[in-house]
Amino acid sequence: MYIATAAFSACGGCENSLLSIGEPLVALLSEHTISFSSILVDRRTVSPSDVVLASGCIRNSEETEVAFEIARTSRKIIAVGTCAVYGGVCGLANAGDSLDAAQGSVLPELFATAEPLDSSMAVELYVPGCPPPPNLIFEALKSVVEGYSPLHLNSTVCSDCERAVTRKSAKTIQSHPGPGADDAACLLSAGLLCMGPVTRGGCRAACPSAGVACAGCRGPSDAVLSSQLHSVHSDLVAYISRTSGAREEKVAKQLEPMLRLLYMFTRRDPVTRSRVKERVPGD
Amino acid sequence: MTDDIDVAGSEEFSGQKVRLYPVTRIQGRADIEVLFTPQQGVREARFRALESRGIQSLVRGMPALRAPQLLSRICGTCGPFHQLASCMAIEAACGAEVPPEAGSLRQLLCWLLLAASHVMTINFMVLPDFALPMSDAGVKNITGIYMVDQESVGRLTHALTSLEEAMRLLGGGTTRPGAIVPGGVSRLPDEDDIRRCRALVAGCEDDLQETMRLAEMLTRRESRMMETGSPLTGYYMASTTDGRPALIGEEVTAAPFAGGDEVTMDPEGFLASIEERPVPWSYLVPLAVEGLEPALVGPLARVNLGFGEDTPQAALECRRTAEQWEHPLDREYFFLVAIALEAIWGWEKARNLLDGWEDSDAKPSASVQLSETDGFAVIDSPRGLLAHVASMTGGGLIKDYRVLSPLQFNYLLMNSHLSSVAEDTVRGIDISDATAARLQLAVRSFIPCVPCGTH
Repeated sequence: MYIATAAFSACGGCENSLLSIGEPLVALLSEHTISFSSILVDRRTVSPSDVVLASGCIRNSEETEVAFEIARTSRKIIAVGTCAVYGGVCGLANAGDSLDAAQGSVLPELFATAEPLDSSMAVELYVPGCPPPPNLIFEALKSVVEGYSPLHLNSTVCSDCERAVTRKSAKTIQSHPGPGADDAACLLSAGLLCMGPVTRGGCRAACPSAGVACAGCRGPSDAVLSSQLHSVHSDLVAYISRTSGAREEKVAKQLEPMLRLLYMFTRRDPVTRSRVKERVPGD
Repeated sequence: MTDDIDVAGSEEFSGQKVRLYPVTRIQGRADIEVLFTPQQGVREARFRALESRGIQSLVRGMPALRAPQLLSRICGTCGPFHQLASCMAIEAACGAEVPPEAGSLRQLLCWLLLAASHVMTINFMVLPDFALPMSDAGVKNITGIYMVDQESVGRLTHALTSLEEAMRLLGGGTTRPGAIVPGGVSRLPDEDDIRRCRALVAGCEDDLQETMRLAEMLTRRESRMMETGSPLTGYYMASTTDGRPALIGEEVTAAPFAGGDEVTMDPEGFLASIEERPVPWSYLVPLAVEGLEPALVGPLARVNLGFGEDTPQAALECRRTAEQWEHPLDREYFFLVAIALEAIWGWEKARNLLDGWEDSDAKPSASVQLSETDGFAVIDSPRGLLAHVASMTGGGLIKDYRVLSPLQFNYLLMNSHLSSVAEDTVRGIDISDATAARLQLAVRSFIPCVPCGTH
């Protein structure tokens, strides 16, 4: 089988997460052929591949060309990371206004917006996360290489989190990500803006476990995606209202100055399609 | 090879040029352009960064307390260092005093990441150049090395997974350890976390020592095979405390490769002496430090400054390296031995912190009172000096933000060195695979990280 990796506009974290798989990845790649991968091999041209692990979003003209070439020559594409799936933090861009001076005919033209990968190619599997945990990337790769169907993962970060919701919730919500919260208490109950209730699980609640509010990097949960009547904002407001006893209007008003934080990773694509096909070991 | 090369003119350069695209086994997308004179001699070679995400503009208007979460997305390798520098800049602006225990945990996470990052770089990006220099692209990669030396790859991946697991236990992640927050950390580790981390870190010692021996052996072979006529020139520069490299240092120290006195600046003076020199052919903006131009930052620069006696193993290896190849190390192929040595340095610093760790009930973070002020931080990251400058509104939002990254500091030296190597090796516009590999090695020796550089 011919396996490839490709990175578009990205920080490189998804590639590092892939490499963090370590020896199992190297062993798997050794049994197959790496057709192209700028992080791993010196081959420079895009060549036909059975599976491509693609990370990053489309942000400039050259990336569009490379994306079309990959789409034309590859059988299955796995979008790795939230930039590839939803546009990621680059989706916060409204224009490359500060970069105009650097744009010219000798450099790829920067687009005003950052687009997820499936704006340019058909994607087989989506593995969101900033970056996705190594085990999720490896599982997605193995499912394609070994030809089994990935399972549907529909938990939220809260389902993986061991912190307990308290009845006496904080009256206000603050944007600080985690100023020394109690080890056992729910961060949202403690008054931190935690996106756990509306965010896709699978990360083993890594941030809340370390006492830090979930920033929502894995994108919306299935419940949020289930209907156009749901949204990250409305579902979070309803959840906070339910657990704290505060009126929804009051909660919504408190969240107003923090709206930007609710869509830090999905602003380019706030009404998302159901990009949820992935498998977690033991799920 | 011919498929990879475009020979074309451009608006800003009317002669012939050859493009090597993409540069492989580096972080991010970039190419090398070789520009020719009418007589087909090399006029200049340059490394061009082809991507930019504009994170400096994206962070404007964001609540300052959440800005570090976004700014850590500048780079997938040095993310925690951007996160830390950003927190430090905000804390400097509002005068927050980070509790000592929180400061220790931040340092511990950074040392672990420095070691892990170098191990990953050696394993996947650097070893193929040194272990299989003459091989075809299909073999000259991690899988080719795995087939001939499974033990070395196993050793490196074991060290990597152990160091990353320790980071996960302490900070909640590796690429973005959420625990680093404005004011301190989100939580302090308990006794069990520390005990498990000690075991994980102790288990890496042999792996890192063996990797150092391998790096030495390969560097010795490489130095015999590849006598480059292009030594590095200019100044090596790092964040230091008492003249010795420190990730969070008290000053910045620089010294000339050609020999001469060291120059020491306080961080504020260092920032004031930096000049941006944008070029139209790259998204990366080069930085020049007044009177210290061109400069090298990163592992080779730090190794040239030498390590302190608080890390006896790294200090010993550093002295041995200098005795073997003479000081300063000014050839590009020394970068392998420099990062292998720094992996030991980072590991040893982390081990020292873990050994001296005492359980306490201290508060993990101080309160952060935001106001309309500015702040900055200068630290050293795995790939070199890094500065964040934050400006905030009275409402606690980011008004303006500036990031100065390692590749920007290295860019002037990298391109002048690349031109020297091209002049020595390129013969006419038909560039062979071997010459292309040589040019790429010249670039890789600076361990460039394009996402970090263009942010």
